[in-house]
Amino acid sequence: MKPVCTSIRRARPLLGTFVEIAVSGIGRAAMEEAVEAAFATVAEVHRLMSFQDSASDVALLNRKAAERAIIVHPWTFEVLEASLEIQRRSAGIFDIAAAQGRRRRTSCIGSVELFPGRRVRFSDPGVAIDLGGIAKGFAVDRAIDVLRDRGVPQGLVNAGGDLAACGLDKALISLRDPRDPRRILCRTEISGEALASSGRKVDPFGGSDTTETAVIDPRTLRYAQAAVGATVRANRCMIADALTKVVMVAGEAMSPILAQYGASALFLSPDGDLRVSGNWQNAVRLAA
Amino acid sequence: MTSWVRWALPPVIVTTVMQPVQAVEYLSIADAQRLAFPTATQFVEANVVYRPSDIAAIERLWGQKVKTRGEQVWRAQAGARLLGYFIVDYVIGKHEAIDYSVSLEADGRVRRVDILQYRESYGGEIANHDWLNQFVGRTSHDPPEFERNIRNISGATLSSRHVTEGIRRVLAIYETCLH
Repeated sequence: MKPVCTSIRRARPLLGTFVEIAVSGIGRAAMEEAVEAAFATVAEVHRLMSFQDSASDVALLNRKAAERAIIVHPWTFEVLEASLEIQRRSAGIFDIAAAQGRRRRTSCIGSVELFPGRRVRFSDPGVAIDLGGIAKGFAVDRAIDVLRDRGVPQGLVNAGGDLAACGLDKALISLRDPRDPRRILCRTEISGEALASSGRKVDPFGGSDTTETAVIDPRTLRYAQAAVGATVRANRCMIADALTKVVMVAGEAMSPILAQYGASALFLSPDGDLRVSGNWQNAVRLAA
Repeated sequence: MTSWVRWALPPVIVTTVMQPVQAVEYLSIADAQRLAFPTATQFVEANVVYRPSDIAAIERLWGQKVKTRGEQVWRAQAGARLLGYFIVDYVIGKHEAIDYSVSLEADGRVRRVDILQYRESYGGEIANHDWLNQFVGRTSHDPPEFERNIRNISGATLSSRHVTEGIRRVLAIYETCLH
């Protein structure tokens, strides 16, 4: 009898990281097709929302939206709507304003305007946006949608640590120690939910001794002070992705916004304590 | 309102034990070839060994020093007709190594990129007890499947910069040696 392959796992370099998609439970050909379609969706999000790619919606907005309203793809509009909502609810701690060298950035609060018909206008010519803090999570959500639409019984999409699962089985996730990414800090399970983490950027070829954190407090332009690493669990990966930055900057003070999105969080404080939001503590286990 | 629970952790050196991200094989070379060129009837080995003039040309196009002597290349063919090229390359660093494939159309455009294998390049710590302990207590009803029990990792963004640079090198090799 021929062995039956019940699961596949694939990875591609996309969104500046490695995107991994794992599926199981249906025929091999259907799984390959679903994974292919999910990768195509991630690539589409990358194409629309890349800050570097001059043909993206984001680059077009940054060039033209101060002159006139620009019509963007429905997905770009959706991410902008969510971004502005999180920005408002976090009192500007989450900010899609692009870093502009060492100059003080022009905040997007009040200067990015959304209109019916997916039209976007910048009221301040000094504004430039970068969706890098939220688009990766959105791409994960869209890829999960593709897997669900194709009837994949069990799927997991992991874009460099921003991940979501679909299906009935729980997926066990190991969380890296932000102080040494080769080590595991704790584990948790997710089921039909998303998880995103912020901390250092790790170049697997440069060693783990990088001190660069990816998160800047837009109010002070200093590195996030409340946490050295944060993980958020939410229903949507886009929300989890954005909220990790908020927790990195403001830690426990961000309880209200976590509650608004039905999210849970944990973070490692600079003094080495792990803080876990009360609605999540039962599902987190230390690794050591 | 969410309340927070505080867990005091001893310093990193004491508590956490090295638990390396272990090797994962995503695709065999044969599977990756079949997925990239489903209509191909044969993959003809066409490995490239650089001549000194090739190295100079690749370095000029790529902008970095070439450290290898050649590249694993297959011609994907439907009968005698060339469909494209299938190239296996790797990047290797301090802790991990990644094998990946780049499939090119016959005119040199990138058709797709797949990660074939991601592994620890220093395998010693795999024998570490805590890592092995993850398997303890697993039964045939609850087997130690990598994806379910062990393998999913969150917590830091792994940069794919080196693979991106590798793909640029592959394109320089195409221009120099295959075109």
